[in-house]
Amino acid sequence: MSDRFVIETADLRKNYDGVEAVRGLSLQVSGGSIYGFLGRNGAGKTTTIKVLLGMARPTSGHARVFGLPADAEDASVEIRGRTGFVSEEKELYDYMTGEEMIRFTAPFFPRWRGDLEQRYVHTFELPLDRKVKALSRGMRTKLALLLALCRGAELLILDEPTSGLDPAMTEEVLQALVSHVASEEMTVFFSSHQIAEVDQIADHVAIIDRGRAVVTGALDDLRENFRRIQLVFDGDAPEPAFRAPGVVRVRRKGRVLTVLSSAGAERILDEARALNPVSVDVVPVTLKEIFLETVTAED
Amino acid sequence: MLWYKSWLETRWQFLIGLVVLMLSAAGTVIAYPKVMKLMPMVPTIDVSGELGRRIREAAELARSYRGYVWSQSFGQNLTQMATLFAALLGSGSPLSQGSRGAALFTLSLPVSRNRLLTVRAAASLTELLALAVAPSLLLTLLSPAIGQSYSIKDALAHSVCLFMAGTVFFSLAFLLSTVFSDVWRPWLLACAVAVVLALCALVIPELSRYSIFRVMSGEDYFRGRGLPWLELLASAAVSVAMLYVAAKNVARQDF
Repeated sequence: MSDRFVIETADLRKNYDGVEAVRGLSLQVSGGSIYGFLGRNGAGKTTTIKVLLGMARPTSGHARVFGLPADAEDASVEIRGRTGFVSEEKELYDYMTGEEMIRFTAPFFPRWRGDLEQRYVHTFELPLDRKVKALSRGMRTKLALLLALCRGAELLILDEPTSGLDPAMTEEVLQALVSHVASEEMTVFFSSHQIAEVDQIADHVAIIDRGRAVVTGALDDLRENFRRIQLVFDGDAPEPAFRAPGVVRVRRKGRVLTVLSSAGAERILDEARALNPVSVDVVPVTLKEIFLETVTAED
Repeated sequence: MLWYKSWLETRWQFLIGLVVLMLSAAGTVIAYPKVMKLMPMVPTIDVSGELGRRIREAAELARSYRGYVWSQSFGQNLTQMATLFAALLGSGSPLSQGSRGAALFTLSLPVSRNRLLTVRAAASLTELLALAVAPSLLLTLLSPAIGQSYSIKDALAHSVCLFMAGTVFFSLAFLLSTVFSDVWRPWLLACAVAVVLALCALVIPELSRYSIFRVMSGEDYFRGRGLPWLELLASAAVSVAMLYVAAKNVARQDF
């Protein structure tokens, strides 16, 4: 494993009571990236995050953050000291006010950013005198985000940061995140099952399905390399066995044969043309299509 | 800040316990003159068996103020209530997934699990110490109001017994809190263990000399045999062992 990456996992596995939540996950997250960790509910996103933060121990394989082993207690404390985290449930102490939450959290982080604290209290219009239990989900999310952003962290790990928020609040949170990252040198690793928000702010993406990464890479590269090749035949479409690498999925429906390729579309096209189709169309695919094709491929 | 968090999470258990134990101690002192008026009736009560023996023993002890305070407070009320509140203070781990837990936020802080547990245990044990000392000292402070005196040395000696033996129930609840995610099951189970121990000592008299409640009440000290250091140290050792197991439990837990 290399120290070049802020987050690196190799053949990571995590079982809960015999159920494999993560099955041989290998990821590499470079510094300075906004890394979208996309997957369906129950795909293993939260479990992976818990392993990275030392909240759960891996069954096998390795997970390193800042080059430190995430499953070692002392290293894990250091990792958390350099990481901001927002959990999916936005769990905070119900019995504290927003002000108390901030005053409680700040001393744990020597690089706490008082200037950002002031800015986000103002921007988010947080009612600091109100107890956490009296805050709406949106306000709780904003407070949780403030507590993560002000840590002076090098890495931000967000687990479904916009879950349960209405579209307006989602946009507000995402904008805050993007402008924060633009002004601070940091890496963001965020999980989501909302394809649109990953598409909106991420520059790298990993699609995880049933505990395994099925697609990883720079979002621009994925957009560049993934292609849908649609072949129409006179009669029923044949059942070809493509030899070219990069074929993700082949679908046959009547006279139409659709091939999803992750790379090397030209070589696949050469093979496809040998089947004598009536027409051939090659179209780029969206992240949503990549996601839907890859996570359902094993169904 | 972890101390502050621990205080916020346990303050109501502590404050309610403090009020209840202080009222109990005050009630014991204030009731003494009335008890003395009833004393002449005691020889006419003819109840046989364990109950009769206990009534006669209590009456005998009440002939001195020191005996009365011991039999009513340290022999009964304070010991029983300190047991309940010790278990309550030990219930509810700082990492429980219950509504007050916010465990993931806590675990995202750059603090080891051991430190989280140590601070919580230390904060709650400090509260337990206050629950043991404050009512005992109140006995000393209020006694002059009814024309009696209760030595501060006796009060502090009994506080030590209440606290050190009480840590066993605290630690038991603390250990159970690393197994159960809510507050109530650890408390109820620790209380159930206390009841079973009390019944064992009652049903099998041979066991009563080893009873933890005998240590908690400071009976040996009251009867002039000095503080039961061996039993107190044994209680502390059992408590430390349970806290150690609790820390080991949490260290290997997944959240």
